[in-house]
Amino acid sequence: MWDGMINGMMTGITTTMIPFNIAMVLFGCFAGSFIGMLPGLGPITAVALLIPVTYALDPASGMVLLAGVYYGAIFGGSTCSILINAPGEAATVATALDGYPLARQGHPGKALAIAAYASFSGGTIAVIMLMFFAPMLANVATSFQSADYFALMILGLTAVSAFAGRGGVLKALLMVVLGLMLSTVGTDQTSGTQRFTFGSLELLDGIEFLLLAMATFALTEALFIILNKDASSDSFDPKSIGISNLKVTKKEFKLIYPSILRSSFLGFFIGVLPGAGATLGSFMSYGMERNLAPPEEQKKFGKGSLRGLAAPETGNNAASSGSFVPLLTLGIPGSGTTAVMLGALIAYGIEPGPRMFIDRPDVFWAVIMSMYLGNVFLLILNLPLIPYFARLLAIPRNLMVPIILFFSLMGVYLVTFNDFDIMMMVFFCIAAMALRLMNMPMAPLLLGFILGGLMEDNLRRSLMIFDESMSFMWERPITLGINITTIIVFSLPFIRYMIAKRKSKTAKVDEGVAAEAK
Amino acid sequence: MAREKVGALVMLLFSIAYGLLATKIPLSFLAQQETFTSRTMPYALAVMGGILSFLILVLPTVNPSGKKTLSEETRGMEWSTAILLVAMMLVYGLIMKWLGFILASIIFLLAGFYILGERRIQRMLFTAVLLVVGLWGIMSMLLGVYIAPGEIFYQLGIL
Repeated sequence: MWDGMINGMMTGITTTMIPFNIAMVLFGCFAGSFIGMLPGLGPITAVALLIPVTYALDPASGMVLLAGVYYGAIFGGSTCSILINAPGEAATVATALDGYPLARQGHPGKALAIAAYASFSGGTIAVIMLMFFAPMLANVATSFQSADYFALMILGLTAVSAFAGRGGVLKALLMVVLGLMLSTVGTDQTSGTQRFTFGSLELLDGIEFLLLAMATFALTEALFIILNKDASSDSFDPKSIGISNLKVTKKEFKLIYPSILRSSFLGFFIGVLPGAGATLGSFMSYGMERNLAPPEEQKKFGKGSLRGLAAPETGNNAASSGSFVPLLTLGIPGSGTTAVMLGALIAYGIEPGPRMFIDRPDVFWAVIMSMYLGNVFLLILNLPLIPYFARLLAIPRNLMVPIILFFSLMGVYLVTFNDFDIMMMVFFCIAAMALRLMNMPMAPLLLGFILGGLMEDNLRRSLMIFDESMSFMWERPITLGINITTIIVFSLPFIRYMIAKRKSKTAKVDEGVAAEAK
Repeated sequence: MAREKVGALVMLLFSIAYGLLATKIPLSFLAQQETFTSRTMPYALAVMGGILSFLILVLPTVNPSGKKTLSEETRGMEWSTAILLVAMMLVYGLIMKWLGFILASIIFLLAGFYILGERRIQRMLFTAVLLVVGLWGIMSMLLGVYIAPGEIFYQLGIL
């Protein structure tokens, strides 16, 4: 295994070090930071917007670019959170908890510098772990059959819902089902039957995943900036940040480095869990640091604590790298953004999953190795450029929103050259806005949509192999193991609910006893 | 009614409609003998969608933000601007074939800027023309992608 790994790493280094691919990493980080920094736009939008560009590239260069966009956007989102308290997505909310107060106390440069160092450290440590864990898992996964894949996809979709948070499990599951429903539109690949096409030629090939991603994220987010009258950037003065302000003292480094180390490990392992992603990584890292901090330091949390800023920033970057493990080894996306990247892989004709490790080591290893480079670029490029990047936040929304809408529509049109797609995008955008107003999450929908076709194929194949019996769900130990994990993951929200209920009951009884004693 | 419940109701209706439409998926004689047909997955999804929507409808709403009604949630939102932008996107889709990429895109961007309150003509024109011509240049000259001109140029005999 070690020989294969070293050979793979060499392949990855060779592929990444091609000047064109270095330029792609650089461009990806730059574009990701740029888009991620715009208020209201997160990494899913950033990756979706850049996908059309990658269609003109070979798969390795394209994926390297998208990976760069992903962590660039996470970093950009943190900058936006720290400076104007407008997190582009949930993963950077925890960063704003202490980053924004620190910026308000007159240390915006320090807050941004700590975020940059924490991102770099979290990203780099997680990539080292990714390098070891991904091939190990891929080696195990090469023995997977259709039944195992089907079970894995069920696990991935269930996990997305299980980590949706209190009151969100059923809604996330419902959105997964809606995504699966949308994936059935078009011609059934096995029988050639048309499903839900309503006689339209344009729907014969089904719904383009890029179209759905752009409509549900990029277009919708841009329109929500208008709907919510988001004027968070209006009062921002970019001149308030000076390069001289970006200094972090030795004492401050000493204070934050244990937090960075702990959060890197925690973030990575949370990222590996399908469906957990960067949001959970950042919040859990923040929670862990607050619990571990001495009482004096604990009081500073939420008021500009350096540890409170470094921990979630490290956690979300480490989790972002961790979410590549299930994507690259099992073909199961760990988050909404990696779901969009999975769609890009499928569009390249690459079958995601453990075979990718064997069939396309150039893509597999190039993505991993490019992350080292990307993290270095983000640090050395973004740190001195922060004051200039921050000027982006001052772009008025009356120019920014039409430009985002234009690039989203063009992103799809310039790939398909079909004006019907623009109409479809508008239709899905309206539907997505309605669903979001009804408090329904969108990322599970995209995940369900992307995995839908693969899931149906694997289920059909498993049934054929097992003579149309459902026994494939438990006959192989691996399948059984995955299914048991699914049941456990699915039960988690209910277990949490029961524990919370019992706790509140006990608290009520205690209160009653105390009242009686009085 | 809590907005989550409205969402669940909409999804329940959608699942029923989806399930009914699934019965219309054509099956050949041979396919009808199989256990797993083109209808199997849609049937299963319709049932799952129905059950989940029903559960959200009947179970109490836990999430405080989900308890808000739709009118509470949408109060104070800038609907007129958003609707105009959506209408503009539809118009953009309709005129794209006739006016071609460059003209349609410049009109879309100018209209978008105007709808959002920008009135500085020079800034609007500079941004729109620079973006569209820049993108057109990258696509057709750098990447070699052919972008067809609008029908109107053929109708007018310009091309």
